[in-house]
Amino acid sequence: MTDTAAAAAAPIIDDEANWQRLHPATLALAIVKLGPRSLNFLPAVAALGFTGNWVWIVPAILAFLLFSLVAAWLHWLRFRFLVGDDEVVIESGVLSRQHRTIPFDRIQDVSIEQGLVSRALGIAKVGFETGAGGKENDADLDAIALDAAQALRTTIRAHRSGEVAVVAASDTPDAPLMAEDRLLFAMTPRQLLLAGLFNFSLAALAVVGAGMQFFDNLLPFKFNIFNPMDWADVAEDFGLDQWLLAHRWVAGIGAALSLLLIGFASGIITMMFANFDFRLTREPRALRRTRGLTTRTDVAVPVRRVQAAILVTGWFRQRFGWHELRLQSLASDGEKERDHQVVPFAQLESIDPVLAEVAITRPDGDAAWKQSHRIIALGGLVGALGASVGGLVAVSFGQALGWFGPVLGVLIGAASLFGARFHRWTDLGEQVAIRRGFWKPKLTLLPHASVQSVDLKSDFILRPLGLATLVFGVPGGSSLASHEIPAIPIATARALRDRILTARARA
Amino acid sequence: MTDTPAVHPTDPFDPAALNAAEGLDPVDPAYAQVLRVATALNLIPLAIGASVLDYMLVRHIEGPYGLITALAWLVAIIVILTFPSRRVSRWGYKIGDGQLRVARGWLFRTDTIVPFVRVQHIDVGQGPVERWFGLSHLIVHTSGTHNSTVTLPGLPADLAAAMRETIRRHIQTDFA
Repeated sequence: MTDTAAAAAAPIIDDEANWQRLHPATLALAIVKLGPRSLNFLPAVAALGFTGNWVWIVPAILAFLLFSLVAAWLHWLRFRFLVGDDEVVIESGVLSRQHRTIPFDRIQDVSIEQGLVSRALGIAKVGFETGAGGKENDADLDAIALDAAQALRTTIRAHRSGEVAVVAASDTPDAPLMAEDRLLFAMTPRQLLLAGLFNFSLAALAVVGAGMQFFDNLLPFKFNIFNPMDWADVAEDFGLDQWLLAHRWVAGIGAALSLLLIGFASGIITMMFANFDFRLTREPRALRRTRGLTTRTDVAVPVRRVQAAILVTGWFRQRFGWHELRLQSLASDGEKERDHQVVPFAQLESIDPVLAEVAITRPDGDAAWKQSHRIIALGGLVGALGASVGGLVAVSFGQALGWFGPVLGVLIGAASLFGARFHRWTDLGEQVAIRRGFWKPKLTLLPHASVQSVDLKSDFILRPLGLATLVFGVPGGSSLASHEIPAIPIATARALRDRILTARARA
Repeated sequence: MTDTPAVHPTDPFDPAALNAAEGLDPVDPAYAQVLRVATALNLIPLAIGASVLDYMLVRHIEGPYGLITALAWLVAIIVILTFPSRRVSRWGYKIGDGQLRVARGWLFRTDTIVPFVRVQHIDVGQGPVERWFGLSHLIVHTSGTHNSTVTLPGLPADLAAAMRETIRRHIQTDFA
């Protein structure tokens, strides 16, 4: 009896040693996650309070905490994974068990993600991208030790690239290039500085201001940098108020200059931290990017999995020919964004070789750009109308601040009318190019073969005008790329849809 | 294949016109019953909620008691009786030429095409209400982020299974 049971269980016991659990610090992470989740509990607390059962509030909260912790612990206890020779097996579930096998061959890429808390604990969340659409189809190990995560990624990458030696991710970022690796793009310090200057941003000021407002009550002094009254008080303290009144032009110029200084400095600093020693190399199967001053990251974008290219610029830097290149790929690499910045700041002639590596071309000067219909400004105009009406209603109730509404409305309306002129597209035979935006012009280069599905949308506004919107389903989303051609004549849309769908799958 | 009527439909609200003009096949009319049950399950609790609110609140503040209840039930009944059949007539599909085409909606109409070779996997699902009327829905998964699932409801169960087989054969031949 016991023998047969042991024999039946033998193959499982054999594996037992290889099964791994998540890092115990995951439980600490669960406690942190309880914070936002306890909001769900607020109505119950309120109900207890309203009904006069004050005595029960503390026990109820304690019971909730205890229950959540036990649940987290049970989850941890019942979650185990096994890294085999060519597959990952994950077993999870407290009551209903789930057993999932992911062959290494099917893993497009392994992402490693660390939040603030997990960084302090030295653990990382490992995500397996399997290329199946939808987030729920991807498996995670949340979370294991950071070095284990990196080892796992190396193992899987080594498996995928056959017997080719894989440079360990973070240990030797400056390993000598292999013979077949070519340097495609690098940022020189001068270029980095220039990029930083164009990266002018007052976001740092806003962050400081928001932080001060948030910690207002905790700060030992009472001062809000966005409150002119506070500044006036300080000036008074130092006897500066008379001087300020006397020299208000000098003071104004000084304020403007310091704002400029803060903007440029924060732009340069963020650029330095992110893109210090930026190198993009061509490996046999992938583009490899290493960058960063304090945290160096090492990301490989497999060339065959690149789905689309996005060229981003700004209204000002465009005049000097500076662009940024991002590649949308099926694989994401531990970053929040699904697209990869492969060239942060360069002239078009240095971007073209990179595009050539992924077999995407940029439309040349004489491409026949077609415009979307002006009707796409309608959404913005409705918003502008809403803002104006709301503001005027507020004014009619005697609230002077309401005048902001119409002013804002006019600005929004003008911006959307103006911006609508920048929606253009052209079909280059093998790929579609979509351009949009005035403030931050973006050019999406979408090979026909990347398109998985096509929506032809029309509604009660577009239909009477004989227009339709084309929306393309493309693997690996991107917040920047819009795979959408809005408001074009319906016959054109149909013809384009047919042309795109006849394209063969991307090799 | 279906014969496209030569006369152009003049009434855009004519249920048959929209699909015929675009060369689409309609879904099973019985799907209207499924939608009706689903709508009823959504709206009747709302109407009951409105009645309770009416009873508890409006009566106490001496408002027009009964008005909200009557309106809520009237709207619910009208919506349950009339909307489902209209919504069903806006659904259309076409399978063939190596692609699946699904169109839906009128106010906001979306016409989706998924080539069979781009299908990752296929589900045929059946909810309890659908089973009652012998219907199934077909869900096609693609690897695109937009349209990662395309759902076609209101198919007779055997047709849904046949469509699944058709698409499955194409997936296999592509990788062979």
